[in-house]
Amino acid sequence: MSSISPKVQNQIAQLQQMQQQMQTIGAQKNQYEMAVREARRATEELKDVPDENAVFMSVGSVMMQKKKEDVLAKLNDKIETLEIRIKSLEKQETMLQGKFEQLQAQIKQALEGKSSPGAA
Amino acid sequence: MVSKVEGIDPRELQSLQLYLNEYRQQSEIFSQQLALLEEGRVEALAAIDAIHGIKESSGDTVLLQIGGGVSLRARIEEPERVLLNIGAEVVVERSSEEAVEYLKDRLTEMEASSKKVIETLEQLKYQMNEIARRLEAGYQQYQMQQARPIPDEQSG
Repeated sequence: MSSISPKVQNQIAQLQQMQQQMQTIGAQKNQYEMAVREARRATEELKDVPDENAVFMSVGSVMMQKKKEDVLAKLNDKIETLEIRIKSLEKQETMLQGKFEQLQAQIKQALEGKSSPGAA
Repeated sequence: MVSKVEGIDPRELQSLQLYLNEYRQQSEIFSQQLALLEEGRVEALAAIDAIHGIKESSGDTVLLQIGGGVSLRARIEEPERVLLNIGAEVVVERSSEEAVEYLKDRLTEMEASSKKVIETLEQLKYQMNEIARRLEAGYQQYQMQQARPIPDEQSG
């Protein structure tokens, strides 16, 4: 590692930082995707429930009895909001991926240029 | 991934070490997922047992745990009707049979997910062993390279 120039070392550090950022974004996206799946599943389950059955929804720290259609509307809102957040994270992910690949190519070029026999 | 060890470069060893660390982290995440799935499975089985038990001995007093090891005596008003958490912070009233059916479906899904996670973990383990083997061989070769005198210096 000591033979690598400070500039390339700095680029490698940036690359690692980007990788961490991408991991954080990926983890957040996963979390939202799971929440969407859960909400969709709950919606499907709720559709099978007879209208006269009691339905409760968490409001703060208590479970409140609600109308089935109100809960369905809230779940659909939740899905919509989460999908918007997922799309925004996907945009960030694509942008970072592009920068990452660019930097990776620069580092590769710098390292290969240094280690190639012709360079000596 | 780096596939050869001859003429070893310290940077190659470093990148192998990075891969190994990355796989280790992934393996830990999957192990945690597996533990959560197992926890969910055990919980669902216990809930099915409880629903059956309450139905069989309806009218009996049960202990309602309120935390801190404290319980209250309680009677189940309607053992045939249960309140089921269907996720996304929604609870619905269902018959005990429907709840058991729901839990059984969840159990099947959790078991399928566990199987997939176990397969992934096994693949990761295999890849980690491969990298560890290559790393060890690489380190040995690197040490030998370091110990060997440089031919140019000898001839010159």
